[in-house]
Amino acid sequence: MQEYGLTLGAHLLLWAFPLALTVLVVVESLLDNTWREPRK
Amino acid sequence: MTPLEPNVLATVAAVMVAYLGILLFIGWRAARRTHGGEDFHLAGRSLGAWAAGISSTASSESGWVTLGAVGMTFTYGVSGLWYAPGCLLGYLVNLYVVAPRLRKISETQGSVTLTDVLTRRWGDPRNVLRVTATTIILVCMMGYVAAQLTAAGKAFSSSLGLEGRGGYVLGVVIGAAVIILVTSLGGFRAVAWTDLFQGLLVAAALIALPLYAISRLGGFGALIQGLGAIDPHLLSAGGDRVGPALWGFVIGQLGIGLGYPGMPHVITRYMATRNDREVQRMQLIAMMWGVVVFYGAGLVGLAGRVILPGLADGEQALMALALELVHPVLAGLLLAAVISAILSTVSSQLLVAASAVSYDVVEETLGGARDDRRSLILGRWTVAVVGLIGIGVALMEVRLVFWFVLFAWSGLGAAFAPLILLALSRRGVNRHGALAAMLTGVGVTVAWKLGRDAAESPEIFARVWWITLIAAVAILLVGHLTHAFENADRIGVVAAATITVLAWLLVQRWGLDSLYELVPAFFSAGFAAIVVSAVTGERD
Repeated sequence: MQEYGLTLGAHLLLWAFPLALTVLVVVESLLDNTWREPRK
Repeated sequence: MTPLEPNVLATVAAVMVAYLGILLFIGWRAARRTHGGEDFHLAGRSLGAWAAGISSTASSESGWVTLGAVGMTFTYGVSGLWYAPGCLLGYLVNLYVVAPRLRKISETQGSVTLTDVLTRRWGDPRNVLRVTATTIILVCMMGYVAAQLTAAGKAFSSSLGLEGRGGYVLGVVIGAAVIILVTSLGGFRAVAWTDLFQGLLVAAALIALPLYAISRLGGFGALIQGLGAIDPHLLSAGGDRVGPALWGFVIGQLGIGLGYPGMPHVITRYMATRNDREVQRMQLIAMMWGVVVFYGAGLVGLAGRVILPGLADGEQALMALALELVHPVLAGLLLAAVISAILSTVSSQLLVAASAVSYDVVEETLGGARDDRRSLILGRWTVAVVGLIGIGVALMEVRLVFWFVLFAWSGLGAAFAPLILLALSRRGVNRHGALAAMLTGVGVTVAWKLGRDAAESPEIFARVWWITLIAAVAILLVGHLTHAFENADRIGVVAAATITVLAWLLVQRWGLDSLYELVPAFFSAGFAAIVVSAVTGERD
């Protein structure tokens, strides 16, 4: 039986892009919180 | 879809009734906290991160995300997913560039609507900008409201088992009555809270259903094998497109995101956010909602293609999968999610249309209802009247209105998105440039779309010159007769007409017809704003 797979572009579109975007906005949010934490 | 069995239908209908009951309860709670005009139009600038974030995204997506986006991947496979990066890039610009600046500027100005932001930013002594912006918003929003009510009516009638023309009418009336009641009583706050509830329902549905469907298939590998066996093109990012058609498709899909900063029902949420801290929290919440919903919808379409290969209409894949795979109570919740996606947009657009009439026209242009209490009453009555007109248009299925809807997203996006970005980030644009940008945005959108259709219908192609000329002369005439136009405004109108005709020639001569109209219209409008401002010389 023939095996099928996603092309490279499909990998990027289907999961690499949303994963990278998620990491980016979460890190931005964490950095923002750290930056704004008042000094003790 | 096949007709539902009576016991399934009864369960689904019970879930629907409960869902509508929750909307009414939220509307009643919000009404008790709504005491004046700013409360009604902007929730007294008191929204927290969750309400602002989810309501801004839920109201922007409409039934498109649970129907159209699902249909895209059902039909085209992975290549149908290009809308997701397009929309998410639009979210990035909106949330990280527009939201923080717009909240600040609107608070400083005391502005209540998008039109208000633009007119106070550049000054509008003769109400030229306000009348132009309000007209564009009202036409687009009324068309949208009627089209969404039609979709809601169809979804309700099929969910509640109401058949025939009578079932459709009842479906439209039930959906519209609940939304009009909730919006007119609770105003912006009710719309934002019901959007939050409905947005979370949509997200939950688009997480749970694809995961369950893929697990039923035997995992992600089985999904890929199933798609490949149907057609190997379903597994590639370009599908079966090649060359200019592929690039036109990809750029067009990415270009969808250009419209987001120009959507009044979306960006007013940012104006209503409580403070900068809530804006920052909102950014993460809204982005995550977008990722979950867009990719969830895409996966539903892919799974649906394998599980239900015989389904004639891919846009029905979510509803068909729900009824095929899960218990009727859960299916009812999933169908409620489909209707939620529609109604959350209807309520937001209804409120924007009503605010355009009651606030921008009656209060600001005609100088009526200065008292806060009267402003609230006026807002409520306007929502009711605008909603009833929407019901009338939806029931009569006025063709002209649905023709306008084809232009609504790109028209609004091109008319307002470049202007909002320029208003928030750049000096050197004035009110005459702003007028030129709005007219150019709408003009190029219409010309490009007609130009694209012209390949099949040369008759329309031949009329674009005349449509543009007549529209420009009519606008100049109205401006002249009402003594509203300055000379610089006339330059703006002529520039908009010229760019519109040039765009139409471009789409014809250079074979750019595969490019989505919002892309050229957006950049043409920005160009018009900058050039007309430079020519007319008055800087802000």
